[in-house]
Amino acid sequence: MVKPKAIVKKEKCLACGGCISVCPRDAILMISSKAVVNKIQCNSCSICVKTCPIGAIDWEEK
Amino acid sequence: MKYDVVIVGSGPAGSVTARFAAETGAKVLIVERRAEVGVPVLCGEGISQKVDHFKVLEGKRWIATKMNGAHIFSPNGTKITLSAEYAGNETGYVVYRDIFDQELARGAVQKGAEIMLNTCAIDLLKKDGKIKGIIAQHFDETIEIEANIVVGADGVESRIGKWAGIQTTLKPYDLETCVQYTLSNIDWDSPYCDFFIGKHIAPGGYLWVFPKGKDVANVGIGILASLSESGKAVKFLDKFIATRPELKKGEPLRVITGADPVAEPIQSVKDNLILVGDAARQVDPITGGGLMHAIEAGKYAGETIAKAVEKQRFDNQTLLEYETQWKNAFGKKLHRNYVAKEIMLDMEDKTLDMLADSLKDYKFEEFSTMSIIKALVTKHPSLLVKLTPLMKLARA
Repeated sequence: MVKPKAIVKKEKCLACGGCISVCPRDAILMISSKAVVNKIQCNSCSICVKTCPIGAIDWEEK
Repeated sequence: MKYDVVIVGSGPAGSVTARFAAETGAKVLIVERRAEVGVPVLCGEGISQKVDHFKVLEGKRWIATKMNGAHIFSPNGTKITLSAEYAGNETGYVVYRDIFDQELARGAVQKGAEIMLNTCAIDLLKKDGKIKGIIAQHFDETIEIEANIVVGADGVESRIGKWAGIQTTLKPYDLETCVQYTLSNIDWDSPYCDFFIGKHIAPGGYLWVFPKGKDVANVGIGILASLSESGKAVKFLDKFIATRPELKKGEPLRVITGADPVAEPIQSVKDNLILVGDAARQVDPITGGGLMHAIEAGKYAGETIAKAVEKQRFDNQTLLEYETQWKNAFGKKLHRNYVAKEIMLDMEDKTLDMLADSLKDYKFEEFSTMSIIKALVTKHPSLLVKLTPLMKLARA
């Protein structure tokens, strides 16, 4: 079974960069003031999901 | 385009570095990915009055409030007071960070630095394995900016260091994840900055109220990312505000999220590349304060760069003077407070209440974490065993 990948809800993200600073895979980038997860790099570790102070990162629906 | 130094990021670390480098005639470019310096604000906006000594800010437009002191509230509400009256009158300011940053950038420009907005660094420019500048996205154009020195002042999520091979990824226990409202219409008339600690208030961090003028304050929370769950910080903040009669009628003028590195000092020089500010983790692990360090380190970085340009030497050895200077000035303090952070994380709420109770009438002579640690040891010799490593570090 393929694990779901993290995805940033663009409408919610306030661009603090916390997720980028803790991502062990270097899979998140800031693009036009929104964090964006590179799905290929993401290993579903959940660190960014837990770190987001306003819950703007979720699991992608399959 | 060829510069002596290209600085990525127009926050305080970048602008102050630029100022001191440009002052002696170095050709300096600051690149900023956003469309406006200082916006959006990502900060609690508190800074020590020591900033005055650096003479990098003109006028008073950037000051929202001059603090009279600070209160620390333990989990059961016991209050510790640090008052300006006993602390030699040197406390702190609550600032308007957007104006503050723009004033620092203006100062750099006055000394000759150039600024390029809407310019996002996307990689280092390398030739034969050597760093020769940066590659950046400027609006819809990819450009190369050549420079003898590259400075990463690109904040907590710094990528410049990573591209040069410096390990900058933070562990969740080394990051405070934050959210803050600027609340208006609150019943808060105190010129004190208030800090609230405890597992049920802000796990692994604290909650703050920083007054920003009449009936307006920054009310924010930082919790340790390793103790966080999705959206936990904002839930805890909302819960706190809802239970405070003086805050619950407040309406937000601004909401921001933030990320604050509370890590050990790291390597800040690699060949002809330098990291400054949050990118170099120059943040106090206890208070989460980084503004003052960014400015002090920026000064050392700028002065070191100026000398390197004068001698036309852009090697690791020449630039290491910067790292030696900042680590001597406050690197030991950061390490000491990192150890203190770990000790505090182990304390139960009951212990914090007991310690607060013993300090509730104490008259602190200085505004620092160290003065609190010293007072605790005086009151609780039994704590010495736990705190001895800290006292040794303090003397080091």
